[in-house]
Amino acid sequence: MTKSTTRTGAGLQGRDRLAFLLVLVPYLIEHEQVSVADAAEHFGVNESLIRESVTLIAVSGVPGETSAYQHEDLFDIDWDLFEQRDQIVLTRLVVIDDSPRFSAREAAALIAGLQYLSALPGSSDDEVIGSLMSKLAIGASGRPTEVAVAASPATAALVPVRDALAQRRELSFDYLSADGRTEHRTVDPLRVESLDRDWYLRGWCHLRQAVRTFRLDRMSRVEIGENQAQHGADDLSVPSDFFQPSASDLTVTVDIDTAALPMIAEFFTADSQVREEGGRSLVNLRLGHVHGFKRVVASLGGLAEVTDPGTAREEVAAWASEALAGYGL
Amino acid sequence: MFESQRATTPRVPVEERLFSLVLALLASEQGLTKSEILSTVQGYRQKFVRGGDNTSLERQFERDKDDVRELGIPLETVEPPGETGNNQLLRYRIPKGEYDLPAEVVFSPAEIAVLSLAGAVWREGSMSDESQRALHKLRSLGVESSDPLIGYAPRLRTRESAFGPLNSAMDRRLEVSFDYLKPGAEHARRRRVAPLALVQHEGRWHVHGIDRDAEAPRTFLLSRILGAVVTTRRSFTEDNAGCAERALADLRALYEGQCALLEVRANTEAERRLVTRALERAEVPLRVHYTDVNVFADELAGYGPEVRVIEPAALRDAVIERLRRTLANHGPQERAAREETR
Repeated sequence: MTKSTTRTGAGLQGRDRLAFLLVLVPYLIEHEQVSVADAAEHFGVNESLIRESVTLIAVSGVPGETSAYQHEDLFDIDWDLFEQRDQIVLTRLVVIDDSPRFSAREAAALIAGLQYLSALPGSSDDEVIGSLMSKLAIGASGRPTEVAVAASPATAALVPVRDALAQRRELSFDYLSADGRTEHRTVDPLRVESLDRDWYLRGWCHLRQAVRTFRLDRMSRVEIGENQAQHGADDLSVPSDFFQPSASDLTVTVDIDTAALPMIAEFFTADSQVREEGGRSLVNLRLGHVHGFKRVVASLGGLAEVTDPGTAREEVAAWASEALAGYGL
Repeated sequence: MFESQRATTPRVPVEERLFSLVLALLASEQGLTKSEILSTVQGYRQKFVRGGDNTSLERQFERDKDDVRELGIPLETVEPPGETGNNQLLRYRIPKGEYDLPAEVVFSPAEIAVLSLAGAVWREGSMSDESQRALHKLRSLGVESSDPLIGYAPRLRTRESAFGPLNSAMDRRLEVSFDYLKPGAEHARRRRVAPLALVQHEGRWHVHGIDRDAEAPRTFLLSRILGAVVTTRRSFTEDNAGCAERALADLRALYEGQCALLEVRANTEAERRLVTRALERAEVPLRVHYTDVNVFADELAGYGPEVRVIEPAALRDAVIERLRRTLANHGPQERAAREETR
């Protein structure tokens, strides 16, 4: 809620707020008396949004027979409880007594999310997922929009990693790092996250004595340890971004056809700068290491050129050249 | 505050006007005409000029109507019998039975937990906003969720800026146009498309639709749509029920119909990525299915020397061509030549 209201213009803000008013009313009907704090926690929004919304609901209603918005045509609340004790009690209702249906797109978003979950090992069984999908379709005001997610094979390590997180136990595995070396690691699991097809574990690494991110398909010989994990998600904060900028990051400049910029958009960071010049763009990107970046440039098949630094150019050239040698070229 | 005549017009916030509109239309069984709405509903009536020019207020109402419908609220237009074509007599209403969540749709605490996880799958963009609103509706039912596994966060991305406009155009049944860089092509071409389905396959988002220039079904990769998607005013009539499942089945058939034989170096990024998708994990060389020769060639070229295509020849040639272009771009001669022309 708060996220989307800050992002776009006034129109969407008003629309989002309307959507919230329409769900807050049935919630307040369901709860004869509820504190502002509890309502905010239940919906995961700021208390100020609850207070503003309740204040608006309390003075809203229908034009009524006289078209004059008479007192009896409006919602009302117990103002003393609200203003003095931050408690909400609806004392008069108008028209609304139920939750609204889902929109076609809202139902589709949840259904596609369920499709993605259903392919994961250890998710709810197909029957539960199927029943939820049909309930969402029945509960939508239109046929859910045509959005679907295909099942893709999950990496073998997902089951033990997820179990270690649930049991709060240490996890150990061999980890293949980006430069091709394999190291044995022991980690207290904090979060297990996926991004599309890739799965990541964020955990407290005993070797590095810091929070690190591990890709599950780079793990082998995964074992759940005997020891309870010393750290959990509740006592260590996990940054929301997978990759944190660090002093050792390399800044490279890429020359790319302006039209093809969206294809490297996922590597943009907050401090990326784009300079346009005659249909081409020069972009500064901050990257963890050049080993990863040479792959990105090579996968763009000639659409992009690294202009700076020279060492990064050489890395890319050597990467392509070594690959061609494999074909005897 | 609620007197209809005032010397100075108080500014009514957007959400108050929209909320009042929804309440008024829900309350009226036979519906309200536009002039009834503009003259009586909170937020409009303050600006309404009796017997005067209300053009901008009417436009405001049109926009509000769209906003309300965007939220999936069934705002209907009713033509009085025998009076077809007379816009002044059109009535607007929100039938309560179509608005309320049906009584038989109930969710258990465990189901709320599963749906919350499903809603949290969307990391950003319009799908995240949509599922956030859906989760608010679920929470309005007052059922507490059973405890989810803290720290378990499956996520899908819809990073492509095309996703939101395409999803919205599909819902409103409007054609779109965009510049598309076909995999393997060097230049983008403008396409006009009736969007019928959005599907994610092999981790990539595709829009399936009717290409209006070819008048034939086509599937486009969202990552290769360059620039903005333009939503036109042309509506399309094709029925798209079941289209997403069919589009996925077609992509799956393409995927299963094509297989590459790959020599992959042990303990490399390429191996870790490709083994998960291989027909047999322990086999040498690996057999891996793919959907599009150019898209797969892009991926394989990225692995550089870690993978060598044995067959098919078309895939092998496509990879070699990409590697040659990359080498040519980054050779010392190329750099020097560019420096001189700048």
